[in-house]
Amino acid sequence: MEAEGHGTSRQAEKGLLICRCEEVALDEIEAAIAEGALTLNEVKRRTRAGMGLCQGKTCRRLVERILAQKTGQKPGDIQPSTHRPPVRPVELQALAAAGEE
Amino acid sequence: MSPDVVVIGGGIVGSACAYYLSREGLKVYLVEKNAVGSGTSKAGQAHVCLWEQPEINLRLGGASRALYEILAHELPFDIEYSQTGSIAVVEDPADWLAFEQSVRSLQAFGLNCRLLAPADLAAMEPNLARDLTGGASFPEDAQVIPMYATLALAEAAKRNGAVIHAFTEVTGIECSSQRVVRAVNTTSGRIPTKAVVNAAGVWSPEIGKMVGVDIPVKPRRGHIVVTEPVPHNVINCKIILAAGYMQTLKAGDGVAIAANIQQTPSGNILLGSSREFIGMDWSVNPDVLQKMIARNLRFLPALKGIHAIRTYAGLRPYTPDLVPIIGPVDGVEGFYAACGHEGAGITMGPITGKLVSEIITGQDTTLPVEPLLLARFNHHQ
Repeated sequence: MEAEGHGTSRQAEKGLLICRCEEVALDEIEAAIAEGALTLNEVKRRTRAGMGLCQGKTCRRLVERILAQKTGQKPGDIQPSTHRPPVRPVELQALAAAGEE
Repeated sequence: MSPDVVVIGGGIVGSACAYYLSREGLKVYLVEKNAVGSGTSKAGQAHVCLWEQPEINLRLGGASRALYEILAHELPFDIEYSQTGSIAVVEDPADWLAFEQSVRSLQAFGLNCRLLAPADLAAMEPNLARDLTGGASFPEDAQVIPMYATLALAEAAKRNGAVIHAFTEVTGIECSSQRVVRAVNTTSGRIPTKAVVNAAGVWSPEIGKMVGVDIPVKPRRGHIVVTEPVPHNVINCKIILAAGYMQTLKAGDGVAIAANIQQTPSGNILLGSSREFIGMDWSVNPDVLQKMIARNLRFLPALKGIHAIRTYAGLRPYTPDLVPIIGPVDGVEGFYAACGHEGAGITMGPITGKLVSEIITGQDTTLPVEPLLLARFNHHQ
């Protein structure tokens, strides 16, 4: 299902999209870093990058690279974002029934 | 230049303290061991709840909501605050009488709320289960995105001249022989100051120990499930919770669970709530999640085919009387508490910051702080 407000007109107004699920553009990531974000989690909390359906599988590496470029950290030194279950979207009724088998 | 006040803890409470103190013209350092908003403040839902008992909490909630109305306009970015209202629903007819009494007592206190018959519930929320006993509506409850509120308060404090020391851990607090605060030692150096605010949430007992003060805050784990974004017609009122939620706050050992359904402006639904004492354990327990989701589906079957995309757990800073600890601490001059908000840090963050700024600058306080002092516990020892 698609939430309201995620129309294509909004997409067209934005620049290069880094997080496709949440439609977060490069300039928004750069603004978060300019505000002081040093880690993937901090960028995420400011911009929602990585909070969508794929939970950062697509944009994680991109944000990491932008962070490395802008903050002078080595890509390997950047604190990884927190990975949380489930690995892929799961219907709530499946999760509710999981313990009853 | 050394700061007038060092606030320890960059969650919503510490950020609100830094904001209101800096607005009074004080030089403030905010010291946070991780990133701002990386502890309990990032791990909850989004409810500004005006009906948490006892009465002092009702007063704190109401005063804080009034501040949010102002903050929504004066903070440097959107915190997605809105008056959504909330609905509490009762499942078991056996619980109705007690619930009705509690709603009447809230009305007597002056809170705007009303009882709902099953037909009212069905009209307001067509997707709710049809076999519920009834409920109540709290039209003045509100919603805010805790992460944005925390970051916006910290950013606004910074613009007022506060200095944010993130990724800086407090290692000790120096006092004079007369037990007057003199400096805060951190992993980034020594900060001389005359005032320290302990806004360290679930870590506040560790900070208390540094000045020999026992702070009776215990971490209490709560789980949340985040769904994919869904249309805004699945639920009309953005916050629906089982009336039993308030009982889970009082529960003791074991795991207490109550349905708590909140949809944020992004369209995602946040499902809660659980409570258990399990120490400093932030991990997610699949068994608790399963039971919690089942409870939510029982009240809102329309959730069944909606997908979960993320789960997390947060630790709520519990106090034995479910009232936060705010104000000066007896026996240590210059040491102030602003901690122990359990699940109400989002609701009460702004008023806590305001009260702390009023106390430290010697103004009349918005609310009487006597019932909030740490001394209430010491007196009972």
